[in-house]
Amino acid sequence: MVRTARAAGGGVMAEIRIHPLTELDIDGITRIDERITGRYRPEVWEERVTYYIRRDAEASQVAEADGAVVGFMLGEVRGGEFGLEEATGWLDFMGVDPGTRGKGVGARLAEALLAHFRSCGAHVARTMVRNEDEQILGFVRSIGFAPAPISSLEKRL
Amino acid sequence: MAEIKRDMPREYHEAVVHWQKHNFPDYPKLVQLWDRYFPRDEPFCLCAKLADDVDPEIQLGDRKGQPKALSPKELPQDAAHLLLGQIRAQASTEFGSIQQHEGTLARAADPQDQAWVLRVMAEELRHGYQMVHLLTSQDWSSVTEQKPADMVEEILNMNTGSHVLAAFNLEFDSFTDNVVFAALIDRVGKYQLSMQKVSAYEPYAASMPPMLKEEAFHLAAGVVPLRRWVERAAKGDALVTMEVIQKSVVKWFVRGLEMFGDDRPGGHGGDDAVRMGLKDMNNRQAQDSYIAEVQKVLDDLNERYVRAKRPDLSRDEADALYAKLKREKGSADGIAYEDLLRLPDRRFFRRRGEGAFQMYGFDGQTFDDPEKCIADVAAHLPEAYRASVDVRHWSNMLRKVHAGEVSLKDAIKSMPRLARVGGSCPCARSVRWVMDVDGGGASGEGARLHP
Repeated sequence: MVRTARAAGGGVMAEIRIHPLTELDIDGITRIDERITGRYRPEVWEERVTYYIRRDAEASQVAEADGAVVGFMLGEVRGGEFGLEEATGWLDFMGVDPGTRGKGVGARLAEALLAHFRSCGAHVARTMVRNEDEQILGFVRSIGFAPAPISSLEKRL
Repeated sequence: MAEIKRDMPREYHEAVVHWQKHNFPDYPKLVQLWDRYFPRDEPFCLCAKLADDVDPEIQLGDRKGQPKALSPKELPQDAAHLLLGQIRAQASTEFGSIQQHEGTLARAADPQDQAWVLRVMAEELRHGYQMVHLLTSQDWSSVTEQKPADMVEEILNMNTGSHVLAAFNLEFDSFTDNVVFAALIDRVGKYQLSMQKVSAYEPYAASMPPMLKEEAFHLAAGVVPLRRWVERAAKGDALVTMEVIQKSVVKWFVRGLEMFGDDRPGGHGGDDAVRMGLKDMNNRQAQDSYIAEVQKVLDDLNERYVRAKRPDLSRDEADALYAKLKREKGSADGIAYEDLLRLPDRRFFRRRGEGAFQMYGFDGQTFDDPEKCIADVAAHLPEAYRASVDVRHWSNMLRKVHAGEVSLKDAIKSMPRLARVGGSCPCARSVRWVMDVDGGGASGEGARLHP
């Protein structure tokens, strides 16, 4: 599930550079998360970033402007989950700095991530978004995702 | 990127496995810990991995646009010779770092930190295997009379103290070194691998992408524990201090700089390799980028420290405080500049290249008296390392150079040198690491290497 949303904002942005995620992006990602959610959670992002680097250091992508992280998209190719045997590019987390909304950062991150998924042999990308996250849903649809013939179910415990 | 996996002929595969038994006895623990710390990851493979999508044409230098060499004899003689040196040095670093890590691996206070370093070591073993594969899968007779088995023997016989580069001849003093080494020395490795991705020798270029993917985790295995340690230090944990981390940073950063080779400003270190299409940056360019990146690591750690020390400040206020401390080098809001992690001047405590055996202090200040310079160096090094033969050797050479008793050239040469003799496996003096194995060919179980 895409768990970090883009938030409102605006402003002039420097040239954006997209590059694979590294350990030096942890603080920048933590900063974006903090701006969006109001929570400072470095340990959470340390674990997540290390996981994605370990799994495939070239898959997850970061957007940088003037040396600062302004967006990130974390994902990987997995297969065999939920009975879906085909290699699937999973978009798990994304975030765009509030100040860079509407500048195409998310689209460029997605372009790089999806290109990597293709190079790994994936013919489909999947993600999950909560229904109330309308902004994220709108964004994910804008980059070509459509409702899948799969039901997402849950049971409260 | 697709990867092709290759095993070596059995005698070489088994030689590496046997080396592991002597030099990396903790390796079997990785299998036990794998599912706990690396769930869902593909099991570790001791094999060579080659990218199958490297550019078939030489990307830079005098022969740009020509097809990359598929064997050493297709390279000009000077390029093949330089390449062989690159591969041997790379192999030495891979096996050497395992020997260093092993000494203090058990001292890790956190099981996850230890498991991460264990995986780093295993992947360094794979990288060493990769280099041995390069040396044994092609005919190098156009540039060396040494047989492949003897080249492998030479590499597997190196120990801490006899490796090609000084950074791999220093003992680790504590688990702090394991982590700082991963953050700083593996970062030099990342630069070398990145530069060599363009290599005019196709098998070498194809070896780099899989190694780089693994190296990315090694850097995280260094930086992430450090991020947590600086937070603990900020919160007053007596067992983790900024001073201990700072001194380890100095120890490794200085030797890391020398891994780039001759870095004198205005010099031509590495230019030949660029001209030959073997890498895409000269030594100084790569080192400049490295210094900037290490400064970024320290900024990251310092910002985490400031944030933990002053949780009452907002993100922007904490950023402003760090910027002020860095700019004014003073104290503010209960934090002193000296509490933070800092890089020494690039000429500080050098054995080679710019500043070698010259009297530069931590901040780039100069001294007239060798004893004052030595005192400044000693004050910035870890206590255990300060007492080592390595530091004593540097101090003695500095004194002799400035007393006119030893030339600078001889001082630089006086580094520990590789003992280039065929050796033996330590479990049987008459037995070599590489043994002829009946049936040769594929690697696998069942080879009897030792009586």
